[in-house]
Amino acid sequence: MSQTRSPLYFALRRFADNKAAVVSGIILGVILLMAIFAPLITPTGYADQDYLTEALSFPSSQHWMGIDDLGRDFFTRIVYGARVSLSIGFSAALFAVLIGIPLGAIAGFYGGWADWIVMRLIELFSVVPPLLAAMLLGALTNGGFFTIVLIASLFGWVQVCLLVRAQVKAFREKEFVRAAQALGASPGYIIRRHLIPNSISPIIVGFVLAIPLAMMLEASLSFLGIGVPPPVPSWGQMINVGMDFMYFYWHLAVFPTLALAVTVLATTLLGDGLRDALDPTLKGR
Amino acid sequence: MLRYIIGRLLSILLTFFVVSLIVFLMMHSVPGGPFDGNDMPVSDAVKAKLNASLGLDKPLYEQYLRYMWGVLHFDFGVPFQSPGETVTELLARAWPPSLILGGSGVLIGAPLGILMGMAAALRRNTWFDYLVSAVSTLGLTIPVFVISMMLIMVFSVWLNWLPAGGWEKPYSWILPITAYAAVPMATYARYTRSAMLDVMTKPFVTVLRAKGLSERRIIFQHVLRNAALPLVTVFLPMFIGTATGSIFVEAMFRVPGLGAYFVSSIELRDYPLEMSLILMITMMFCVAYLISDIVYALLNPRIRFGGKS
Repeated sequence: MSQTRSPLYFALRRFADNKAAVVSGIILGVILLMAIFAPLITPTGYADQDYLTEALSFPSSQHWMGIDDLGRDFFTRIVYGARVSLSIGFSAALFAVLIGIPLGAIAGFYGGWADWIVMRLIELFSVVPPLLAAMLLGALTNGGFFTIVLIASLFGWVQVCLLVRAQVKAFREKEFVRAAQALGASPGYIIRRHLIPNSISPIIVGFVLAIPLAMMLEASLSFLGIGVPPPVPSWGQMINVGMDFMYFYWHLAVFPTLALAVTVLATTLLGDGLRDALDPTLKGR
Repeated sequence: MLRYIIGRLLSILLTFFVVSLIVFLMMHSVPGGPFDGNDMPVSDAVKAKLNASLGLDKPLYEQYLRYMWGVLHFDFGVPFQSPGETVTELLARAWPPSLILGGSGVLIGAPLGILMGMAAALRRNTWFDYLVSAVSTLGLTIPVFVISMMLIMVFSVWLNWLPAGGWEKPYSWILPITAYAAVPMATYARYTRSAMLDVMTKPFVTVLRAKGLSERRIIFQHVLRNAALPLVTVFLPMFIGTATGSIFVEAMFRVPGLGAYFVSSIELRDYPLEMSLILMITMMFCVAYLISDIVYALLNPRIRFGGKS
């Protein structure tokens, strides 16, 4: 009992105790690996119409998820769909964090008018439904990968910003910050070296929880036909196509639906688990 | 309190103005106009005449001011895609189906979610608690069109119990209402559970137990009342959120409601309708948040008298 244990050790132990989070992490890892090594585990390219004669055939030992209406191997499309979904999720979350951290830090550190402006900005983003703005922006830029990342990060930074702001506000008056100020440290230096490192757990949580939101937005937009343009496979777009064939060819609707549900669920549960592990006081919010 | 409300109203006006300006500019930056569609090609001269008749040849600021002046008089213009009626008339026609479905979804989903959350909190860490957590996480993380899809697959395609869509017969409303109810149910189950657990660990509950009050009275008279506070605030915004949810649910179940107009107004460059829809939703969200905050303050004396909660 003499050995001192780091906070990281306790966070890891809390995380390991959360079975749902651990299982979700493993599932997400497998999906991530499948997305990265997609060319190695799939028989053809995602847009290759190699099986036109067998179009719409049901799952078999050769084609695990069947063939789609245009003669493409459906398993291949689902796996490449994971690439689209995950890359949009991760890059949107990254940009959301990059916007949210400085704004949250400035609002929390300076307070006053800076805080007022940031809070009005947040209010603006909370009353406009992201989907409507996304549809408008999508029409403006003709959709595509980067538009979706832009929209998802524009509406994803709010959560990160609020978390960082609260953390910075709480730490601003701590002794070590006062000490740094007394030693002549500039506000920028204090924010960079002391306040942001101390906000690392809300930042991680905000990052992970922004991923499923971006993935859902991508799927919704692709479902409406203004997301990732075909033939790049996206689960939302595949669900939309699958709807037309649902009565006779169930596989075209079921597999993308399951893929999207499992991935979003796993990411959310992983995020919840990380939040509970990194900051037990936030539990259940 | 009055000063607070006036301040908030001013802030809503500011938000409304900024949103209207941004949306207007974005809307007009989208290339193409309402008469550029390929299904009914018209000559350039005709196009110019049509644009002029709708005032689309005027400079943008004039169009904006003209439109906003109309909005201030509750005149939202005439939708380009159905010029036989005003935007107000179109809304009066298309909104009721969305309201009926979305409203019943919330009114069924919210109480169900509260009951589930309560039961889960009272039976903490049992299989029922885990079930509620699983259901509520699923409801919050799966997009509503995926939920609709699953409902159609199971109840229409496989079991053939209910029609996959339509609006005329009331029993075809069952599936869309279920799809609408998923999100409120999940939200309320989750909030109620955590709010109840939060209150149940407070010292005053221990005092009530020590006083010899029955568990039933503690739960229903004291815990529930305190836990209800945060639940009140999410109700109105959630209700309005069904408006955007209608885009998907109505497309899936082929309901002739408001949802399709969100998409078509953007696709067809139907500026008056597009502007009206977005401004309306924005305004309703602003007002809903304001009302929620006021109700919260009225129900919670700790906030009303400026104390710390």
